[in-house]
Amino acid sequence: MKINVKLIATYQNLLPVGTSGNTIEIEVPSGSTISQILSCFGVPQDDTSVIVLNGLTVDLNTPVSEGDTIAAFSAIAGG
Amino acid sequence: MNGWHGKLLRVDLTNQTTSVEDIDPKVCRDFIGGRGVAMYYISKEVDPLVDPLAPENKLVFATGPLTATPAPTGNRYMVVTKSPLTGALAHSNSGGEFPTWMKRTGFDLFIFEGRAKEPVYLFVNEDQVEVRSAAHVWGKDTHETTDMLKAETSDEARVACIGPAGENLALMASIMNDKHRAAARSGVGAVMGSKNLKAVVAMGNKNPDLHDPTAMRDLSVDTSKNVGADVKKGSNMRIYGTSYVPQVTNTLGIFPTYNFQQGTFEHTKNIDGDALKNQYLIRHTPCYRCPLSCGRLTEVPDGKYKGKGEGPEYETISSLGSGCGVSDLAALVKANYLCNEYGMDTIGTGMTIAAAMEMYEKGYIPEGVIGQPLKFGDHDAMIAMIKKMATREGFGDDLAQGSYRLCEKYGHPEIAVTTRKQEFPGYDPRGSQGMGLLYATSNKGASHMEGDVAYEEVFGVPVKENPLSTDGKAELVKHFEDSFALIDSSGLCVFVAIRYVFSKDRLIFPLRLSEMMNFTTGAGYTPEEIMKAAERVYNLERMFVLKAGSTEDALPHRMLHEPLPDGPARGKVVELDKMLPEFYQLRGWDEKGWPTKEKLEELGLTPNS
Repeated sequence: MKINVKLIATYQNLLPVGTSGNTIEIEVPSGSTISQILSCFGVPQDDTSVIVLNGLTVDLNTPVSEGDTIAAFSAIAGG
Repeated sequence: MNGWHGKLLRVDLTNQTTSVEDIDPKVCRDFIGGRGVAMYYISKEVDPLVDPLAPENKLVFATGPLTATPAPTGNRYMVVTKSPLTGALAHSNSGGEFPTWMKRTGFDLFIFEGRAKEPVYLFVNEDQVEVRSAAHVWGKDTHETTDMLKAETSDEARVACIGPAGENLALMASIMNDKHRAAARSGVGAVMGSKNLKAVVAMGNKNPDLHDPTAMRDLSVDTSKNVGADVKKGSNMRIYGTSYVPQVTNTLGIFPTYNFQQGTFEHTKNIDGDALKNQYLIRHTPCYRCPLSCGRLTEVPDGKYKGKGEGPEYETISSLGSGCGVSDLAALVKANYLCNEYGMDTIGTGMTIAAAMEMYEKGYIPEGVIGQPLKFGDHDAMIAMIKKMATREGFGDDLAQGSYRLCEKYGHPEIAVTTRKQEFPGYDPRGSQGMGLLYATSNKGASHMEGDVAYEEVFGVPVKENPLSTDGKAELVKHFEDSFALIDSSGLCVFVAIRYVFSKDRLIFPLRLSEMMNFTTGAGYTPEEIMKAAERVYNLERMFVLKAGSTEDALPHRMLHEPLPDGPARGKVVELDKMLPEFYQLRGWDEKGWPTKEKLEELGLTPNS
């Protein structure tokens, strides 16, 4: 199934070379979790990152569904 | 005394006399400095019911004990006064270079009172204190004023001044320092304008003495190293400043769009940090002694929006960009430059124009009144309105009153997205519930800088909280409000303080800041004592606001009754009723939000404080 991975600001560097913008559509096996998918991109999965599924705060072991968007960015102060 | 100079400069503008007073060391210790000590004097000397633009109101510039010390970002000052926008309290914060230069005059505070008959500016070079004519710079913008006053005083001096908006008493007028940095919110520039005070020019070499210079240096170096390590890894704040935030808030569905009619903006990529970096960024411009360096010098090199300056920051992108539906980045950058030059708060300016755009599109304000069409996304119209607001020309006179009074005048107060008549910043609280409680209870009206719980709800700093949940938000808001009172009183910048000075453990979180304060002042604060002092400051402010008649901790109609129509927070309103009673209880306030006698006694305050 196809999902989107959106890596914001500095995390864009973790997207494959040649990716246009901050979002890539990828094909993943059914049952894949957020954690498994972000591991492929090398996104830190500790408190140095904020990670959301379709904009919502969820457990990183949550399986994704067709059309979902996982977004992540570095947890450094803003505002 | 160490850290604090223990001296204030009082400037009687009516009689054009100045005097120097000692500040009681107990007042310094009990109210920390900066915002807290300024509030002590406002509370003691200003009738809460005074007309904010009358000579009887006072305007306080206040540095903190950590200002002009080696502490990273120890370079902030506060402007505290009764606000003409909210009718409550203003305490606006700024960095740049001016705060350190002000502290080096040898004074912690400048207190301005009365009203000059003709425009004046204050020049302070340590013991040389002069109230001088500003007739030649009256009417000039903030950049021209800064250049002219430095040319006639010293290139070593630093300038804080108002532009035409402050002179014309626009209620979103800011006080700009070092040209590009703003004590922006709540109409502090209008108070300065009402006093005929055009500028403050400061210089000197009186750095504060430090109680333990070696320990302070070591702690400051260690803190700076932690910042530097993040910068080396790739810090969003260093690379983008706050301009990376639109992508974050848009992803969460809390990016204020079309005057908060939506939580996502379809053109976000046109106005985000990458667009700004790739098109107009020249270089980073740090405040004095800041290892983070989030400021950015930018330039639109050609075209009708040609210009050069600093920013825009996130809040400006949100208010003058998505808030007004504007996706033309060059126009947005130009609008930011204009606000800085006229001396205007970009949040209040942008969101007032956004409210006018909604009123126009719904037919509530006729085109004949405005003098032209004013649709969302019309960046030329937005820029035209900024100029009119600053000069109060035509419809600009209505706009200069802010969105609350504008919407009320034209019969649709439900369009105004304000609390205590101040415009919301760039986090839609329907998708960040804690921000809703913060906006409702903030002593200065809607402001992220009153206790920015978006740090946890949005940015995961120091820990991540679910923004859609109301659980624990009463405690979180109290914690952040008191923490910001502490930071603003100390003289540090919140960007570094929250991330690198505070501990993640709320029980010991101010430990490093209390150490900085102790190495600087020798006051011997425990973390508990310093948080109690911050709570004392917050409650003293609260008493002033209540006595001023601003007693309602409410949210505007849209936040309570119009669910977000789009994005991850679709269908949500702010569940204020779920949070407010618990918040009052945690604060030690009664069911109407007044501090109880017991709470005041615990803090060493009285109902007459």
